[in-house]
Amino acid sequence: MGLTSGPACMASCGPVVVPSLLAERAGLRPNTRYLSTFLGARFLGYLLFAAVAWELGALVSLPPAPRMLLIGVIHVLLAGVLLWYAYSAGRTCAQSCSGSELVSIGVTNKRGVAGAATLGFLTGLSLCPPFVAASVRAAELGSVGAALLFFAVFFVGTSVWFVPFVGLGCVVRNEAVTTVARMAMVLIALYYASLGLTMLLGRRVYGY
Amino acid sequence: MATKARIPLPRQTAPRSIGRSVLLTLPIALWSLLMFANPQRQSNRSLQIASVITSVFMIALFFMMMRTGSTYRWRRWFFVALGILFPVGFIHNVMAMRGTMGIPIEEMIAGRTPFCYLPIPLLILPAAFTKTLVFPGSILPGGGMSRQGMAAMAGLWLAITLVVGKGWCSYACFFGGIEEGMASVLTRAKLRKIDLRWRYGPWAVLLAMVVLSLALFEPAYCLWLCPFKAVSEYVAARNTVGMVQNGIFVVLFGGLVIALPLLTKKRTQCAFFCPFGAFQSIFNKTSVFDVKIDQTRCSPCVLCQTACPTMSLTEESIARGETLMSCMKCGACVDVCPKNAVVWHIKGTEAAWKPERARLMFLYAAWGMAVMFGGSIIAEGLATILHVFV
Repeated sequence: MGLTSGPACMASCGPVVVPSLLAERAGLRPNTRYLSTFLGARFLGYLLFAAVAWELGALVSLPPAPRMLLIGVIHVLLAGVLLWYAYSAGRTCAQSCSGSELVSIGVTNKRGVAGAATLGFLTGLSLCPPFVAASVRAAELGSVGAALLFFAVFFVGTSVWFVPFVGLGCVVRNEAVTTVARMAMVLIALYYASLGLTMLLGRRVYGY
Repeated sequence: MATKARIPLPRQTAPRSIGRSVLLTLPIALWSLLMFANPQRQSNRSLQIASVITSVFMIALFFMMMRTGSTYRWRRWFFVALGILFPVGFIHNVMAMRGTMGIPIEEMIAGRTPFCYLPIPLLILPAAFTKTLVFPGSILPGGGMSRQGMAAMAGLWLAITLVVGKGWCSYACFFGGIEEGMASVLTRAKLRKIDLRWRYGPWAVLLAMVVLSLALFEPAYCLWLCPFKAVSEYVAARNTVGMVQNGIFVVLFGGLVIALPLLTKKRTQCAFFCPFGAFQSIFNKTSVFDVKIDQTRCSPCVLCQTACPTMSLTEESIARGETLMSCMKCGACVDVCPKNAVVWHIKGTEAAWKPERARLMFLYAAWGMAVMFGGSIIAEGLATILHVFV
């Protein structure tokens, strides 16, 4: 199931992963490090959500209102983190002139939480369609342990599809690429913010 | 320090003879007559008159290009006319068909909206992954263009693009004319200091919209960011979100197409925002024609850099003897150069090899395209206006 729904996961995380990876340093190693951090944090997000939802008995039947609220909050948080990432990547680039290296969120030095981890964790909680589908299957299992194991295997299956993103490390990094990535992050952040705020304000898009 | 050897190159200051200019205009005149002498137009008197006017207009402009050796100022007449008359014809059609410029979302989902090429590059990935087009236009079977029709359009676009590259944006795009007109209003720019990094804007919009269209499976650009919704058709505002969307369209149009071109004398929407332009830039690499700077003649006075409406010339690129890949081949830099150092060029030849021949070959291709795409739109817009009187 993870393997088959992997493209949807990849597409869902693309707006976050692609520009933030392009804002990193060039080369396969830094990009692999970024992706590992991102996927690891995304895995934690998966497990946390599954465990909490299981405990609350709402793994499958999360009502629409709290679901909208949750997605709305996560979209707004993602927007905020992306904006911070775009700003921080520019600041790091101004110092090294060749892209940033695992931008830190929260404090100005390396002791802050890695930006990749923050983004990964939030996308892990963002209830994308494959994740919801996996929740349905996991709910049929007998125990929380089995459900978590199911999610872990599901995560491994989907993560295979993220491997091609490492190839972005081969894209030459210069001022143009880094600036494009940062500008794209700002646009995507604004998009997520508008979606999130729409959900939070309880507006239905197009009057449906 | 070695002195640069000057290659003698006759400067094209004297106008061509009328006879020679007529001869050079003849192929375009024939093409234009072929395009506009459509028997189906006979029943519509206003369209008939508009076709004649458009045909004469296109032929006259090409003649003046041949006669004067100048490209930009004559092309600009066509381009501004195209930019102004496109909304006239388009809005008239939309109003006649739907009674309003607002598209209900059901119409958009059903693909019952007119074809627009701008979002195409943004939707390639969703189409590749899902074999589904999240396209807000009439390309669905039975609802508009057939698969064969789409293939023919794609083939035509590819053929044109391979020849003229990003020349599409200066000779066929029906969106850029308004800002080019606004950029021509003032004699001097009020805003001169522009951060060069804004040139990366179209690529950022392209990247952001491609990944968002794939993730959310919706035409993100059309729903939220297209400035030209303000003068074509907008999302029918049924709630606050619709109002916000339309507000964004108006602000982007007012800023990027009206105010900033007026203040900067640049085509700001094209240079800093248009994702299709970024996509088309890639094909400047495959195009047969480009613009070169003959280093043996260049001072450099940077007049070309100032004149370029899309900031496609920098001091570094001038030193390299070439334009940036965002060059739209409008001809402004070539016309403004006092030393004829900026020249039209055919790839694979020396920079200064017969630049007028390169210009002629490029203009035949570009103007042929202009007549085909732009001419019919101009005729349609003119016919709409004439319909009031005739």
